[in-house]
Amino acid sequence: MDYPTTNVLLIEDNPGDADLVRLRLVEGKSAVNVNCVNRLSDGLASLTRETPTLILLDLNLPDSRGADTYRRVMEHSPNVPVVVLSGQDDEALAIKAVHQGVQDYLIKGNLSSKHLERAIQYAVERQGLLRALEISQKQQLEFKNRFLSHVSHELRTPLTCIHQYVTLLLDGLAGTMAPEQSDHLKTVLKSVNQLHAMIRDLLEATRAESGKLRIEPRCIALGELVQQAAAMLRPTAEGKKVGLEIGLDQSLPLVHADPDRVLEVLINLLDNAIKFTPPEGSVMIQASMVEADQGYVYLSVSDTGRGINPEAKSLIFERLYQDPDSIDNNRSGLGLGLFICKEIVRQHQGRIWVSSELGQGSTFSFTLPVYSLAKLLAPVITYQDHLRPDLVLVRVDLTPLSNPPRGNWKETWHECLNLLQRCVYLDKDLVLPPMGTTGATETFFVVVSTDLQRSGIMTTRIREQLERVDELKSKCTLTITTFPVEYACDNPDATLEQQVQSVAGCVTRMILTSREARKVSATKSKPASNSVKP
Amino acid sequence: MAKAKILVVDDDPDLVRALRLRLRANQYEVTTAADGYAAIASAQKERPALIILDLGLPVGDGFVVLERLQSSDVLSGIPVIVLSARDPQANEQRALRAGAAAFFQKPADNDELMNVIRVSLGSATEAPQRAAWPS
Repeated sequence: MDYPTTNVLLIEDNPGDADLVRLRLVEGKSAVNVNCVNRLSDGLASLTRETPTLILLDLNLPDSRGADTYRRVMEHSPNVPVVVLSGQDDEALAIKAVHQGVQDYLIKGNLSSKHLERAIQYAVERQGLLRALEISQKQQLEFKNRFLSHVSHELRTPLTCIHQYVTLLLDGLAGTMAPEQSDHLKTVLKSVNQLHAMIRDLLEATRAESGKLRIEPRCIALGELVQQAAAMLRPTAEGKKVGLEIGLDQSLPLVHADPDRVLEVLINLLDNAIKFTPPEGSVMIQASMVEADQGYVYLSVSDTGRGINPEAKSLIFERLYQDPDSIDNNRSGLGLGLFICKEIVRQHQGRIWVSSELGQGSTFSFTLPVYSLAKLLAPVITYQDHLRPDLVLVRVDLTPLSNPPRGNWKETWHECLNLLQRCVYLDKDLVLPPMGTTGATETFFVVVSTDLQRSGIMTTRIREQLERVDELKSKCTLTITTFPVEYACDNPDATLEQQVQSVAGCVTRMILTSREARKVSATKSKPASNSVKP
Repeated sequence: MAKAKILVVDDDPDLVRALRLRLRANQYEVTTAADGYAAIASAQKERPALIILDLGLPVGDGFVVLERLQSSDVLSGIPVIVLSARDPQANEQRALRAGAAAFFQKPADNDELMNVIRVSLGSATEAPQRAAWPS
């Protein structure tokens, strides 16, 4: 039987050992090509150029020693089997290597070509099996996710039909209903809505698991979101005679997060809290800063419910977890809500956890990253360890003239953002991430490293670019306003970092002031043009 | 004022019946089609003021219908509201890019749907702010 040629990459710095191994390999029955290098870096370079059948690896090389050697090789080429060449004295290390994914080890002193040949063959076989297993696991997961998303889609069709007819009857479009009949139908509608929520959760969880849960972070004020979530759940709380309080820190910074997703998490936590709190109890939603952790805003929802078992605390965020005590008296859903919350928070690089005492209540907390303008600005407003002398804030307002149905501008705004990115010099200007929209006007802010006189070049360029978009030319008014950034730094010995901070503070104030001003002056009037001082 | 005519395209006859009832109650005239081919034919013949379009359709799915409508000089001006059970994450942007005026996932909120229909038909000023400018 003909074996295909085996290409062995031998990484060995001792010429004697290398020659011996090469000799043993060539003596064997099957055809072997040996490529021998004596440094790890050369080995990795060779792996970048071509993929051998197998790597024979000495662990102690001039540029790497011990476990690091095989880790770096495996990290570089995870699919190539590795067999470690070990001396008599470091067999323990070789065994450890096998535990960590190396296919085999050989003791250098007693190598026979038969032995070597068999080791190579087995290593290649085992690696192949492992790979097949990995692929099959991936396929299974993919199949499961496809299946779930298919099912949730198919379930929607009959559900839509039920929903339509129930609402037809309830709205009196098929004749008047007796109050009792109407009551029964409302119960049906409630169940339809529950079913709808479950189907949605199913799809969301599937997405989260396959890493397809998308977030679109913007720069948002949390206060508004907390108020909104509380307003949405207030009827539920009142219906159950549960108090609902809001606690907001006075000066919360902006956060970098997806407003729809954060609202989803807040609603989920509030809904749970109300569900598990007995009448006359209370639920509190809070947003605050923590002294020791200035990079994050802390949000929490606490209740005066019966609390969570210590054993359950670690399980509660897992998929399909259901509180065993609640099943009989409450319809508790699929047990996906907290899992989805966890995934959303994780996508935001935040943390979520629960603290609870049995009989006293529970507090669910999560963190969201503070929108750090300073971090974004630092690379563009500094040059050779100095602050750039002149900075201008450019505000681009796009006010639609016609009234499109929902969602339709989203795509256009996205295109605008891309166009703006192309107008600026990436090393010295910064297009800020979109802010939450107020009213109809979409506003973009750009920090430009130039003085006010010369900022005209930039605004002309922005205007030219944006006016090329068809929808914008005919359906929007475009207003571009420039403001000089006049930051004040009281301390003459301030470090560069502190200077950047004070610029960021100044820009943030300017943005907030200009947003506030527009809220008051309503969207219909054009903002005053040109260099208004903050 | 004459009633605005709405073409409802969906292959589920039960849903079409319910939508027809609701739209009529909202003072619209309703015509229907159950597949992609019939949708185009009906749009050409009836010249509706607005189309409610499902995506999963026999004989040319919703995207094919959108494409046909857009490529026709006389039909491209008709606002199309997509009403589909499909996942918005994968289909909403695609539908909007293909020329749809709005995307609703089934089951849709009736009030919201009726508002968007009103807005799309041009009586924008009467529609509440919420429908025209969602957050």
